[in-house]
Amino acid sequence: MSRRLSFIFCISSLFLFGGILLSAQEDERPLFEVTTFQLENGLQVILSEDYSLPLVSVVLAYNVGSINEPPKKTGMAYMLENLMFQGSRNIGSMQHIHFISKIGGILNAVTTEDRTIFYQTVPASQLALVLWLESDRMISLDIHPSKVKRTRDSLIEEIKQRKLDDPYFESSVLFDQLLYPNKAYSHPVIGSETDLREMTIEDVQDFYTKYYIPNNAVLCITGNFEKRKAIQLVKKYFTTIRPGKPVPFFPAKEHLKSQEIVRNVENYLAPYPGFHLGYRISSPDSPDNYTLAIIEYILLHGKSSRLQERMIYEDRFASHLSGGIELKKNLATFKIFVKNNTETLRVRSQKSIFDEIDKLKSDFISENELNKAKNMFKRDYLDQFTTLADKGIFLVKFHLSRKKNSNFLEELKKYLAVTPSDIIGIVNRYFTEERVVLNIKIK
Amino acid sequence: MSVAVRSRGYPFSLLFSLLILLCILNTSLFSQERFRRNPPFPDPLPELTLPKIESASLSNGLEVSIIRRQDLPVISIHLIVYAGESFSPDALPGLATFTANMVNKGAVGLSSSRITETIETIGGKFSSETHPDYSVISFTFLEDYLDTALETLGKMILQPTFPRIEVRNVVRTMHYDLLGRKSSPAFVGRRTLLRILFEEHPYRNIAFNETVTRNLNRDELLSFFEKYYRPNNAKLILIGNLTLRTAVRKVSRYLNTWENKDIETEDINPPQPNETLKLCIVDLPEEEDATITIGNTILLRDYDDYFPTTVLNQVLGGSPHSRLFMNLRESKGYAYFAFSTVEFFKACGILTIQERVRPNVIFESIAESLNEISRISSQVVPDYELEQAKSYLIGNFPLRIEDLEYYSSRLAAIQAFELGEAHWDSYYQSMMLISPENVYEIARQSSLQSPVVVVVGNIQELSPYLQEFDLEVYDTNGEFQYTIKKGETE
Repeated sequence: MSRRLSFIFCISSLFLFGGILLSAQEDERPLFEVTTFQLENGLQVILSEDYSLPLVSVVLAYNVGSINEPPKKTGMAYMLENLMFQGSRNIGSMQHIHFISKIGGILNAVTTEDRTIFYQTVPASQLALVLWLESDRMISLDIHPSKVKRTRDSLIEEIKQRKLDDPYFESSVLFDQLLYPNKAYSHPVIGSETDLREMTIEDVQDFYTKYYIPNNAVLCITGNFEKRKAIQLVKKYFTTIRPGKPVPFFPAKEHLKSQEIVRNVENYLAPYPGFHLGYRISSPDSPDNYTLAIIEYILLHGKSSRLQERMIYEDRFASHLSGGIELKKNLATFKIFVKNNTETLRVRSQKSIFDEIDKLKSDFISENELNKAKNMFKRDYLDQFTTLADKGIFLVKFHLSRKKNSNFLEELKKYLAVTPSDIIGIVNRYFTEERVVLNIKIK
Repeated sequence: MSVAVRSRGYPFSLLFSLLILLCILNTSLFSQERFRRNPPFPDPLPELTLPKIESASLSNGLEVSIIRRQDLPVISIHLIVYAGESFSPDALPGLATFTANMVNKGAVGLSSSRITETIETIGGKFSSETHPDYSVISFTFLEDYLDTALETLGKMILQPTFPRIEVRNVVRTMHYDLLGRKSSPAFVGRRTLLRILFEEHPYRNIAFNETVTRNLNRDELLSFFEKYYRPNNAKLILIGNLTLRTAVRKVSRYLNTWENKDIETEDINPPQPNETLKLCIVDLPEEEDATITIGNTILLRDYDDYFPTTVLNQVLGGSPHSRLFMNLRESKGYAYFAFSTVEFFKACGILTIQERVRPNVIFESIAESLNEISRISSQVVPDYELEQAKSYLIGNFPLRIEDLEYYSSRLAAIQAFELGEAHWDSYYQSMMLISPENVYEIARQSSLQSPVVVVVGNIQELSPYLQEFDLEVYDTNGEFQYTIKKGETE
């Protein structure tokens, strides 16, 4: 292979199917096919053709989030997400949005603790336009002092607004600090007003140079395109972007062992009492997570789930109940948030949750109930492939996870293989009294 | 290369100058590839090919249609019943919505919670939606469970029990839901507009408020259900990886004993559009901004008017590139947003503009909006603007039907109104054929220039800016209160 052609040094096609899993009516039915390769500059590329509609979706994920922010620089990743729409060398401020919406397309971006994802879906004829836009902001984002100032002002305003809109925002930040003693994990993605005010243009430029580079990104194209043409376009727009320095390895953290932590907070804004409850569970790539995900559905999802049925519909102890597994880089937790009408009901709600967890520790779950939880999980898992953008986002997340070498339908099979004994074992292992509780009392 | 240059005897100074020039060009012009400077040209747009709608009828008159989709192992069922809100009795607006909300609340041998559990066991989601002309009961689930889903749906429709406790629960939920929405200026503005536009028309029932829930009861529910929930007054759509033959066989097994009955319904005449500009205000004292809702009904000659009317809406306010947004937000800076939408009912269409503006520019905002309505009604839309609007709609259509909810609701409308292929997989062609004259014709013939304008916000703050109008004051339930005469303030 000549050097010129070696821009693709790895091409692999994964023919993904899940006939037995997906349908009892047919033996095997392909769901969709995925091709992956990597450019010389380190950019990983995923292609998945789907000719059902004349659309194409482009998802570009950078493997960076709020966890990567240096101390006292919280909000940096979210700041960069916003700056990415404010222009680059060949594209004016907000023109990215203008180009996409003018042709009837949609776009958005999301920053989490461990990644930043940009996505857009457009008519299939406009694939080149999106690659042109994405490559330009990867190669030459315009980090101008006036733009940083404007973005900072708007983010500070957003923090204020979020506090007004969500009276429980501050208690959830405090709860995360208790649940994740490591500061990198416990601050909100939006950052703090103090840190944003002190952020310099050099800080922003350094962060951009360090993380928003091809060797720290995954590009996924899903939809109605010809593979050969798409590879040509990806090569044209991305292959000459120079890689950055190798991204620093993020040191793996483990949960700290502690006794039960119970704290009370008096909330001036919250209209009702409530509480946050958390358990520190296995790391995201542990096989235990298959069982934990099904436990999440048994307890929390659907009106007939154990906690929803008991606390919201039967006993009516709680007016709101939500939660589930939260994955942050290499740590995972199981969180529950409850709102109650009175202090007495708050106490009763906590007891109900502990009762239901205790039942799961000792009693085998029925096949019917387990099957219900698995089917609801499966439905939500499949819902991730409903639109091209959803599919692209799923594929980049999967690729960035430690499971990237496995088949994601094989993954689904593992969730569906959970047994009643697995549930008893895992509940006993993780749902212990080493929990964290933050009670919200109204002032 | 340098040897060759020397042999031609070029002076060193010239070579040096060329070298310098090349360096300058290299840094100023060639430091990036040429293709990065401008957006690339688009490729040809692939054809839009949608699955065919195949239909058959059961012996009891129920029409069954399937749309084959093989992308996901999920089936969705949509039962359309011609029992929309316009069918609710005059004294009981909200009854159609209440009935649709009660469908999954109990059947013989199945309590409400047992139905919920069954739905969740098959990975299902259940919902109901009531439009002016019809209601839709929707049920989506994993494809392996078609029999369970149809059996459950069959019991809900054929053997409903409507338990009294569930009646109370649903009435209470509707009451608090409607009460909660009264703090939304956009919701209040739209409801007040609909109430005024349809004051003398059966569609007025769609603008009901929470006070109607006092009158909703089980007897009226039973009577409404018995009258309208009949197979000869319904259509069933199944979307998923199945054939018409399988669908008919399975649906027939569970719904063939659903008894048909003659239903006397009267065609609804088109409403009379508002003929003179009317300005109304609703007081929401907590609101810092003003929300303006402007609208009028549009008489449709036939459903093919859908296409020019949709283009008209797109030019006027369908997106951030349309006239209203560009004028009121981008150019004048009056509005946080300014958009228009068009909806189609059986008897008419309705064009609605909504804007959120600063109170001190409320008058100017209304004036500019009326100017834009006047411009589109009196001048033919230029070719480039029309092409831009059509291009947006053509590009955006597949994106909207990518969403299963929109896909299903569009299919429901097509089946309910018997619209045909022009509104489904011939959408591109139908849209491409629209000319500036088609759009002008719709705008010219309609009464868009004499709309109803509803302002929602703090009346004490807003009324001084609106002294040039007679202002009709409505409460948040849409009830007329009094008039503030021109020149006066609250």
